[in-house]
Amino acid sequence: MLLCVSIDDYPLAVVRRAYGGDGPLIVADRPDRGRVLAVDRVAREAGARAGQTVTQAVAAARAEVAVYDSAAGAAWWEELLDALDAVSPLVDDARPGLAFLDMRGIDGGPVQWMQRARDVLNPLLFPYRLGAGVTKMSARAAAYVADGTICEEGSERALLAPLPLKLLDLEAETIERLRLLGVERLGDLARLPHGPFVRRFGPNAARWHLLAAGTDRTPFVPRGRAVAIEASIYGEGRAEDEAQVAFALRVLLAQIAADLERCGKRAGALTLEVELDDAQVRAFEVALGSPTAQERAMLEVLRAKLEGVTFAAPIVGLRLRAARLEEGGEATTLLTGDDFDPQTVALTIARLEAALGETVRRASTRDAHALEERFVYERFEPPKRELVTSSSHGDPAEARLVPQLRLLTVSEIEVRMRRGEPAFVGTPPQAVIECVGPWRVDAGWFDVPVSRDEYDVLLEDGELYRIYRQGAHWYLRGAYD
Amino acid sequence: MSPQHSDPTPVRSRREAFAALKAELSGAALGGLRVAVDAAVPSGIPELDRLLGGGVPRGTLVAMEGTAGAWSIAARLVAAVTSGALAAIIDDGGLYPPTLAQAGTRLERVLVVPARSPLGMARAADILLRSRACRLVLMTAPVLRAAVWSRLAALARRTGVVLIAVAAGAAAASLSAVAGLRLYCTRERLVVAGLRGLWSTVCGYVVRAELRKTAARASGAAASLRVVTGDRAAALRERDIPRPRIARAALR
Repeated sequence: MLLCVSIDDYPLAVVRRAYGGDGPLIVADRPDRGRVLAVDRVAREAGARAGQTVTQAVAAARAEVAVYDSAAGAAWWEELLDALDAVSPLVDDARPGLAFLDMRGIDGGPVQWMQRARDVLNPLLFPYRLGAGVTKMSARAAAYVADGTICEEGSERALLAPLPLKLLDLEAETIERLRLLGVERLGDLARLPHGPFVRRFGPNAARWHLLAAGTDRTPFVPRGRAVAIEASIYGEGRAEDEAQVAFALRVLLAQIAADLERCGKRAGALTLEVELDDAQVRAFEVALGSPTAQERAMLEVLRAKLEGVTFAAPIVGLRLRAARLEEGGEATTLLTGDDFDPQTVALTIARLEAALGETVRRASTRDAHALEERFVYERFEPPKRELVTSSSHGDPAEARLVPQLRLLTVSEIEVRMRRGEPAFVGTPPQAVIECVGPWRVDAGWFDVPVSRDEYDVLLEDGELYRIYRQGAHWYLRGAYD
Repeated sequence: MSPQHSDPTPVRSRREAFAALKAELSGAALGGLRVAVDAAVPSGIPELDRLLGGGVPRGTLVAMEGTAGAWSIAARLVAAVTSGALAAIIDDGGLYPPTLAQAGTRLERVLVVPARSPLGMARAADILLRSRACRLVLMTAPVLRAAVWSRLAALARRTGVVLIAVAAGAAAASLSAVAGLRLYCTRERLVVAGLRGLWSTVCGYVVRAELRKTAARASGAAASLRVVTGDRAAALRERDIPRPRIARAALR
């Protein structure tokens, strides 16, 4: 017998868990120009659907838009699977929001198993449903019908018959095609003749037909056991100076490095938890740039990260964990066109962040109307090394000098108009030698509306500025260099 | 393999062995491409490279001075470096990545280090130069004591990293004495597409770059450089930018 744990619209559940609230909600992959991943019941009734653009969904439902944090979603799902390990040693991770547990050989019956599952799932605050069945399909269908449903062997077909086609995880287009043929339920599909249906809908249709008829041959694939590599020091007195902490870290790193080597792994990051005498715990996540199992490389990056960090109380405990584990072996490439060492870059970033207290970033561009929306920053990760190619050295024929816009702190300026365009700018006023524009920028109408006219003006001192008018006021935005 | 390869020099790890072999291979032709570390960073702009004598020498503190065009030239050098290595920009808040990308920069290879205070900028430059993680570091020159610039220049020389400081006003004064290369840029003409108003766009300008100091050749040489966005190559008109008769306070 299998137990199914199902969380409908997992991205929605993640957002609700993170931010709470019960108003109409649309969950998207990006804040603007993104796609809708899930909508709640109120938004769905108003016409919003998964797969729409955010603009379409907001226009339909006028609901709040939240962005799905896939990293948090994945982490919470892992947490949930880890919790389910206490119910059964064999857990099949079908996808975030859907898992199966193999309960064969475990004491009790479906009711007791479900109770054990509830005991571990309730503290995680996710809205889940449980179902039991002989196959994955029947267990999932049981969970879909109602929380706690049990599908006995031999009753699969009857249970599945009234259920919708979406349980087969078909594409929306296929469901629509079937609907046009009058097939809306699994029972309708099961009644179709197998051969003609498969010939018309392709090889996958054979599996859909069998599933709809209650025959599920999908194998149960237990997830791999997570390898936890960590070391800790507690109860060995208090560390009050840097040398003591450095010594303790070296001891922990030696253990971590040895464990990594033993498991044939390398770490892409380290997580350090520092427990203080005043019961406070401070955590540090240290990215290693290039995954490694070398003790010295890890120590250098860790020390750089801790440079300049002060603690309010003596340290009484340290816990160090290797994270982002990869299969072993050092990534060494001989014939790269690149001239950087990821480990050195990681060390430099850690030092910069420790010294400046700011995150070292990298920029990427994107399409947007407003000037300041056309780029985003994210944390810098050393790029993957590339083999030498002719393109990696750039094409000298394409090299050109391009005007660089420098953003200035937005400040209000005085502008006098003549014949509908700026004639004098600033205080004292400077004559405008050349003016181009206006370009109307209308953006963020679903969030904070921005509506303004932008101009490039060349002033008599030879400087070229980007200015804009918003309402009755003029602002300085940037200067070309 | 030649006898020199059989030299039983002990290497401590496989990584070091690879590094040693890579260093040995550097300079050798590999399918028509060179892995050698160049002595200068060429911009790829013929007029500019001619002016600089082949490019910006590695390990140089470069002072970019003047009223306009300094960031355009610096962006081109960043683009040249990021084709095969990393570059860093110490950002005082004025960086606009889209135009940097238009210049050919691979943004994923640029470390953007936010630093607003002069001290923070100097520290960031110090760490970046010492680490040798990047081949070029670009920053707006803050007002610092000449001794600090002198230290940064020495670090650049020692590590072979190019440090470009875009300087104006008092910062330029303290920087000029220690810079190994000084380039003074002024905007000469504006390049506009279209007639006027709504139907026109500023495509760029013509910049006069004057070499004011260099170790390799005599100063005073100059070049006219066209700084133009590439998407409007046709139907451009140029207009002279008159020199102001009266010194005006800058708008910013």
